[in-house]
Amino acid sequence: MDLRDKYGLLIDDMADMRATVRIQLADGGLEKCDQARNVKEAVQKLSLRRYDLIVCDYNLGQGADGQQLLELLRRRQILPLTTAFLIITGETSYEQVATAAEYAPDDYLLKPFTADALRTRLTRILEKKEALAPLYRHLGPKGDPVQALAVCDELLAQGSRYSLDILRHKGELLQTLNRSQEALALYEGVLQQRATPWATVGKARVLAAGGDDTAAKEQLAGALKAYPNYLAAYDSLAAILEKTDTEAAQAVMEQSLAVAPTTQRQRRVGALALENEDYVRAEEAFKRAVEKDRTGFFKSHDDYAGLARSYSAQGKVQEALATVKDMSQYFAASPALTARQAAVESQVYAKAGNAEAAKAALQKALQTRQGGDLDPATQLEIAQACFTSGSAEQAKDIIRNLAEDHHENDQVLAEAQKVFARAGLGDEGGVFLDATRKRMVKLNNDAVALAKAGELDQAIAMLTEAADRLRNNCQVAINAALALLMNIHRKGMDTSALARAHHYILQARHANPEHPRLEEVASFYRKVAPPGTLILDDE
Amino acid sequence: MDTLLATVIHDAKNGLATLGAWLEQARAQTPSPALEEACRQAQRINTQLVELLALHRGSEGTLRLAIADHDLADFVDDLKAEWLAPPQSTITVSWPADAGRIGAWAFDAYQVKLVLLDVLRNALRHARTTVALRLAVEPGGGIRFTVQDDGPGFPVAHSATMHDQGSGLGLSFARLIAREHRTPNGKHGDIEMKNAPQGGALFSLILP
Repeated sequence: MDLRDKYGLLIDDMADMRATVRIQLADGGLEKCDQARNVKEAVQKLSLRRYDLIVCDYNLGQGADGQQLLELLRRRQILPLTTAFLIITGETSYEQVATAAEYAPDDYLLKPFTADALRTRLTRILEKKEALAPLYRHLGPKGDPVQALAVCDELLAQGSRYSLDILRHKGELLQTLNRSQEALALYEGVLQQRATPWATVGKARVLAAGGDDTAAKEQLAGALKAYPNYLAAYDSLAAILEKTDTEAAQAVMEQSLAVAPTTQRQRRVGALALENEDYVRAEEAFKRAVEKDRTGFFKSHDDYAGLARSYSAQGKVQEALATVKDMSQYFAASPALTARQAAVESQVYAKAGNAEAAKAALQKALQTRQGGDLDPATQLEIAQACFTSGSAEQAKDIIRNLAEDHHENDQVLAEAQKVFARAGLGDEGGVFLDATRKRMVKLNNDAVALAKAGELDQAIAMLTEAADRLRNNCQVAINAALALLMNIHRKGMDTSALARAHHYILQARHANPEHPRLEEVASFYRKVAPPGTLILDDE
Repeated sequence: MDTLLATVIHDAKNGLATLGAWLEQARAQTPSPALEEACRQAQRINTQLVELLALHRGSEGTLRLAIADHDLADFVDDLKAEWLAPPQSTITVSWPADAGRIGAWAFDAYQVKLVLLDVLRNALRHARTTVALRLAVEPGGGIRFTVQDDGPGFPVAHSATMHDQGSGLGLSFARLIAREHRTPNGKHGDIEMKNAPQGGALFSLILP
């Protein structure tokens, strides 16, 4: 492997360190190498071009570090899987960092190091990236899990030396495709050969997805005994516990917070503490999240809303209102921000007994909602405010719409359930949401049955009506496009129908770029669309 | 969150790092055998401090390992690259050539590397002509690193500490790191010391 034709990015806040490492990289043959002094510059550079390798110092000054940068890049999905990411670090920070990393870099290199060691490590990573490149092509948000799976099998059949990495990807792909039995067999096969954290947790996830929470919990308890700082094990365990015992879930998240006190974990603890009416703890956790991340990269409306709610529940009205106001200072103005602030404010006023101010704020939130497409969290906040102000029907309308729009998204449905529960309508909410979800499943099934029975026009009418109303429902949009394409396939070209199919595929992509059925409809489209018509590019 | 002892060890390590940098600079300007030896001593003390810190954390229950998959061929390569034989040493060190056959294994490469480098250094002091590192899969699951020398072997009466230059620090560290490697079904790693039938000491590090 030659570094000569590679493009590198070197990130370090210290000018002399940058100079030293740059020379070492040049010794190793790397000619093209940009430099960045901090997280902001690194993100800028990364959004402009693709790099083959990144060498990043752990310490980036101003309280930022390489591990945070990596987390930011992964969460925002601006670091291609094919790019090598190497963190260089001193011995002391290595021990703290490597044992509690939310996202692992491709490797760590301990200081001081020689040019030779640096080149060896980079070469090693790049060789692996090259071997796995056919797989990486099909992974990620615009990837195709079915094709990725095929590549995994191909590489495994060739006896790749990276078979364990490939098996790890394959397990995740099987989970994405809901092929639980195969995933379970894969993890058990790996574990028979060797104990390794990811396979233990993978097996637990498959068991939980199959409804066997008891076995999954047992598996995870074992994992945590053996690997007490493996964060994914805490997250999986908390997710299972949350369904039945939010206090136990909070305790597990508190433990994970002791391992890695990140903003995301503070937020999770805060949310669980709110559920458990542990307002003092919720206030503390959200305060940490807010303070630590004010100028940070992971800031979220949710933290401020959570903090205001924690204050409000303790009767600290002024603090709660000040927190809502603070949001204007730390976030760019947007309809979502305005609506969120108003909805939270309305609840604070209602709780403080000021019904008039609560109504006024709620009106503002509802008006902003008329203006356009708000994210689920904001819509649910408005629904919550409606419940608090006694407008239960309006709240249910908002939630119905949202649930229809996101009927495949368990997380949105779970959050919606919490809104009902907070309003004291937990049981009713469960029935309501279940019925909504079933209605959507039935709509899709009915339409597919009609299409199969040859009643394509009727199927198209049903699906396009729903797709036009529910812009975030990926499955409905996919089915609408499929029905249109089937009709063309059967009856011959109809350019306006083709254009509509194109429109629904884009809508589906926008709604959920990772939906497993996207590729199916896209390839059908490419088959049906004659040259010269609208192209489905892979933007 | 560190205790006083941990803080003091950290301070000492930082001081040692500064000292090491000065020594390196001096050595670069005017190389001499004395400075070579001083640098090596500084490194040795650093290793001891790292081990001491790990043992302290182990006793406090705050030692954390970074268990992840590591390709064993790569791991052996790194070990080789970091291995510094003393100048004038005539001992041959042989490395496992077939580590790649096992593929990858989940363990803390940083800590295990420290253990093995320490064991190798010890073996070198007692070997007559050769030291061999071997790697094999354990019949009941796990992997075993073995360091064998052709020296006089462990003295039977004091096999636990005598080989370890007095304090037993390296040995305690090795045992701690081995045992902290655990699996969900309750297995853990360990160390073993015995004398080979044909003579020489055999040290094993077993990882589950």
